Amino acid sequence: MPTPCRVAITAAGILSPLGPGLSATREALLAARDAVSPVERFDVSLTRAKTAGQIPDAWLSPETDPRARLHRASLMLMAATRELWAGDPGFEPELWVIGTTSGGMSFGEAFYRALHHRPARRARWLANYLPQKPVLDAQAACGSVAPSQIIANACASGTNAAGHAFSLIRAGKQRRVLCGGYDALSELVFVGFDALQASTPDKIRPFDRDRTGLVLGEGAAVMALEELDSAQKRGAPILGEITGYGLSTDNHHLTQPHPSGIGPLRAMERALASAGRAPREMDYINAHGTATAFNDATEGTAIAQLFGPGGVPVSSTKSMMGHTLGAAGAIEAVVCLLALQHQFLPANLHYSQADPAWDLNIVANHTRPARVERILSNSFGFGGTNASLVMEKAH
Amino acid sequence: MDALGSSHIAGMGWVTPLGSGLEPVWERWMRGDHAESKPVALPGAARSHAFLPVPAQCVDFLGRTPRLRRSSAISFYAVAAGLAALENAGLKVTPELAARTAVVFATSDGGVQYTRRFYDQIVRQGATAASPLLFPETVYNAPASHLSSQLGLDGASYTLVGDASVGVAALHFAGQLLDTLDIDYCLVVGAEECDWIICEAYQDWRLARTPFAEGAAAVLLGRSGPWRLRTHPGIPFFRRREVPAALERVCADLAASGPAQWAVCSASQPFMEAAERTALRRHYPGAAELHPKRTFGEAPGASALIQVVAAALAVQKSGAARALTPVVGFNQQIGGAVVELALEAIGPVVPS
Repeated sequence: MPTPCRVAITAAGILSPLGPGLSATREALLAARDAVSPVERFDVSLTRAKTAGQIPDAWLSPETDPRARLHRASLMLMAATRELWAGDPGFEPELWVIGTTSGGMSFGEAFYRALHHRPARRARWLANYLPQKPVLDAQAACGSVAPSQIIANACASGTNAAGHAFSLIRAGKQRRVLCGGYDALSELVFVGFDALQASTPDKIRPFDRDRTGLVLGEGAAVMALEELDSAQKRGAPILGEITGYGLSTDNHHLTQPHPSGIGPLRAMERALASAGRAPREMDYINAHGTATAFNDATEGTAIAQLFGPGGVPVSSTKSMMGHTLGAAGAIEAVVCLLALQHQFLPANLHYSQADPAWDLNIVANHTRPARVERILSNSFGFGGTNASLVMEKAH
Repeated sequence: MDALGSSHIAGMGWVTPLGSGLEPVWERWMRGDHAESKPVALPGAARSHAFLPVPAQCVDFLGRTPRLRRSSAISFYAVAAGLAALENAGLKVTPELAARTAVVFATSDGGVQYTRRFYDQIVRQGATAASPLLFPETVYNAPASHLSSQLGLDGASYTLVGDASVGVAALHFAGQLLDTLDIDYCLVVGAEECDWIICEAYQDWRLARTPFAEGAAAVLLGRSGPWRLRTHPGIPFFRRREVPAALERVCADLAASGPAQWAVCSASQPFMEAAERTALRRHYPGAAELHPKRTFGEAPGASALIQVVAAALAVQKSGAARALTPVVGFNQQIGGAVVELALEAIGPVVPS
């Protein structure tokens, strides 16, 4: 069996409610900024939840012909990929693996509304609604003609994209893969989570005893993954490494995890095994931590079981920016990369009361400096898709 | 780096407007039967569209399944096709096999019926009227979740989305999973369901020449099986005028596998047809052509997999060595696959 290849991260790009770009995101993380604000893009007068982590239009520079009518999701992904190439101009991906949950959904909504109100009128820009369009727009903007794989594994999509890209390079099947995720807020998805009573009118309080649900968000993030020797030979920056990936499928229910936490537990165990690491070797867990009753109960149980009571520091950075769905895994991987590079543990905001169900070492309310060599990042989604990544500091 | 993916087909199934079952559908297709189209209309508007539905009896047997009681048609098609592929491979799902079988689900539009209904509730009645029962089924990977649950598979599960090339992208992806995960099989299922809003959209994109269709096809990939499959990773295109060059490259890459006796064509629109004809004549002169979309319509998530199933049946029934399936998407990618009879399988599977 050939020796597995090491997988380097040579560049990254991010656009999240915390800020446009790596540097702004790092500053917001260090300041433990709450980037959740009242929703402005559509009417929320009838929903319980009223807030989200949002990308201001000012952060989206079109730089394209306005007649192209690109969706905000395209502009977000383009901004993230532009930053990636600024960081590693020599990166030439052989494949793009991108996660999303809803593509350009708000264009689909507009198409429906147009038909509903004026059936004779056709909405010509519906083609930009499809989930592949932002990927094509980002490819066109940077002149990449590599094939793309678009993963829609609900909230685990971004982590699945990074994990699949990692697996291909590690197995020697690809040398360079661009991976990431994107999602833009839409009325349909916002109302959907509200209808399920998964979202909260309150602050998002992951792992808190008094948590009441999630807050949605939007954004995009990408990473340039490359076989380490190849990256070193061309003098590319080595920002960090991905060393493990684990996934599991929980068939318990379409929207609810098995209460035992077996799904998250298996994904984390497999990621650690893939990295050849023991639980005690992890310095931080970036939890899925949506602050819903079900997710935090199962994830908290699984973390406590695997890492022991009061073990590895845990936080959910969704507490700062909301749940960005298909982008979440990618955004959180970039957050972990920043934590590895700049040696800090991101805060879990709005945390006041420990849940007596488990004993977790929560990074409560303030980001703090720490020695961080290895991180586990979790993403779990509708449909029982569970994924975990192990990332390590570059040496 | 390996450009073409390589794996084996261990089993197949399909649920089409001509019915289900590999043999019955093949026979009806070869006989020249046509599926019955059905009108679907935008409420309150004069215009209507015709689409090709799957006959209800193809999925009736799943109707009382608790997990599927509230699911959309696409999940029924996916589960029926997936079950058929496992049965065709002669596989019985044991706990060990369940953990060592991945699922890759491919679709273009997903659960569009529930998505439209859910948004319709928001628009007509307001957010407070939107049903929490509908929303989960609007998520792209809901059919994959039902599929894993109904087939009892708990290995890796992925849902891929894209244009009509997504089925062959899913096969390539599945081959990558076989290369990188400790698994024995990967079940690839592509499916699509119809709603009037999709027909409207396809008409707006001038893609309405081939009727929109419902259906699903499933291909069980493994490390051995009666057919060898090579898949192309795909080439993106950004404008329709780039299709001929991309298709030319895909056909040239696949032609390295050797001459094909069959070409199971993909093109369903004028801008694709000329390009496909030119590329096939150059790289596969003399290949006999099959045009499944003329009979089965365009079910984007399932179409490429229907082509691959047709290609496998064509080589099996004719004893030919190889069949090509070029796959032309409508706004993303060109892909393709080559299906060959596996040497070890010649004899048992070729009908006398």
